[in-house]
Amino acid sequence: MSRIVLTGRRIVKGKAAGEAIVTREAISFNGGVDNMTGIVTEPGHELEGGSVAGKVLVFQTGKGSTGGSYKIYDMVARGTAPLAFVQVTPESITTVGAIIGEIPTVASFDIDPTAAIATGDYVEVDADAGLVVVQSGRGTND
Amino acid sequence: MVLTDEEQAMLDGDRGPAVRKAMEILVALGESFGAERLIPVANVHMAGSSVLVAEEAGTCFVEDIRAQGGVFVTNVTTNPTAVDPSQWAELGIPESDRVLQNRLTDAYAGMGANTCNTCIPYLVGNAPRFGEHMAWGESSAVVFANSVCGARTNREGGPSGLASALTGRTPAYGFHLKENRYGKLLVRVNTLLEDMTDYGSLGCFAGRVAGQDTPVFVGLPSDPSPEELKALSAALAAAGAVSMFHAVGVTPEAQTLEEAFGGRVPEAEIEFGDAEKADVEASLNKETSDHVDWILIGCPNASVQEIREVATALDGRCVHDGVTLWVTTAPAIYTMADRVGYVRAIEAAGGTVVRETCPFLARSRAIAPAKGYRTLTTNSAKMAFYAPGQFGLPTHYGNLARVMRAAVEGVWR
Repeated sequence: MSRIVLTGRRIVKGKAAGEAIVTREAISFNGGVDNMTGIVTEPGHELEGGSVAGKVLVFQTGKGSTGGSYKIYDMVARGTAPLAFVQVTPESITTVGAIIGEIPTVASFDIDPTAAIATGDYVEVDADAGLVVVQSGRGTND
Repeated sequence: MVLTDEEQAMLDGDRGPAVRKAMEILVALGESFGAERLIPVANVHMAGSSVLVAEEAGTCFVEDIRAQGGVFVTNVTTNPTAVDPSQWAELGIPESDRVLQNRLTDAYAGMGANTCNTCIPYLVGNAPRFGEHMAWGESSAVVFANSVCGARTNREGGPSGLASALTGRTPAYGFHLKENRYGKLLVRVNTLLEDMTDYGSLGCFAGRVAGQDTPVFVGLPSDPSPEELKALSAALAAAGAVSMFHAVGVTPEAQTLEEAFGGRVPEAEIEFGDAEKADVEASLNKETSDHVDWILIGCPNASVQEIREVATALDGRCVHDGVTLWVTTAPAIYTMADRVGYVRAIEAAGGTVVRETCPFLARSRAIAPAKGYRTLTTNSAKMAFYAPGQFGLPTHYGNLARVMRAAVEGVWR
């Protein structure tokens, strides 16, 4: 098990820790993820069929309709939202959704988080400090 | 980001929790996009006015903001809702949407919004001024305001528009800054643009290529109508993530090609000729059967002139059995069209003039199966672009004359 620290920029304050789910693709929260379950539904998406609920979502960026911000807020209320966003590039829809849903968010890292983190890794997000600590391998070995 | 003392006080909660939350949204957005400051705005058009966008969670969020003492400090107009106020049941709109919609609209109105409930606020009293900084949502209205009016706005979603309405500020980035308003893609128009549908096809063609970039059109007629420009704006925003276009000699920041590109060389150049026009039309007119059951005019919302054209096309004729005709419009325009008899003429022929909602912002995934609609027939490129994916209906797409012939004959030709 190895430990990596990624340094990025705080987008939305807060701290969270949990299992990572990772994609190099962008995600639309209005139409691409089922807000009732947290399951990615976009046909052909790398994460199609996977659930973001209760996980640290490591992804490229957000995309799609601006209604996605409210969908994220809705997922927080239902308990189907990710615990934290770790994003390569920040954008407005997920940023606004994270602010109103109070989801810690870090973006713009020194190294690509979608390459440094694997699905199943245990990740600690300290958005206030702009830090993401990755415990590699724990997701599969524990 | 550098804040004024007043802005910092808002962020610190001096004006209560609603304003604090709003400033947090704007500052975080500004920091994400590298804005150096906030700029004053006095004009907000609110996306997220329909419960189809806001859903229960967004409605609760807007209600919470109001309960926390939220008051709008700018002029605010609202986008279409999910509900026609008087005909919702006949149209097949679920009762649960009406109940939730009333809560959401009441919350906006209670904070001071002008609930005009339309995607064409610029035709019902919210006319943007040249150079005015605004915080508008509704992608078609954003493109119209930036391009045709020369106002300055990014594409604002519901929460960020709400935040601007509560604070009178928006982050200074994107289309607020002149250096981001120049064209990147040159589009040579080499075919006749005869009506709204042709302009919509052009918008769809250019939007697909442009993505987020600003297209510059040359060869557009010098006298397009407001309806044609709104069709072009809507299609550009639907097929791409376009926020603005220039039409040389037509739009105010493009008196010349050099002005439109800010003296720079276009990054790409494409041509819209007869073949491209036919290709786009074919790509939007995909339904292979001649079956017609649901017809939509008014995306973006119909002007009085468009409603008049529908009434004229139906003069002495009737909408065919088994065909439902919706003409969607703003309540203010409905009232004007009613005064001059167009609404009665359309109703007498068996059509329906729908207010405050449209197939996008009403729950069409419930309406269509309840009513047995299997196709959508429209003169709108935006509607034809979205209908197959958003509510699962294949489309017939053509100009108003062709669509109205389908309304009367009950088949697509």
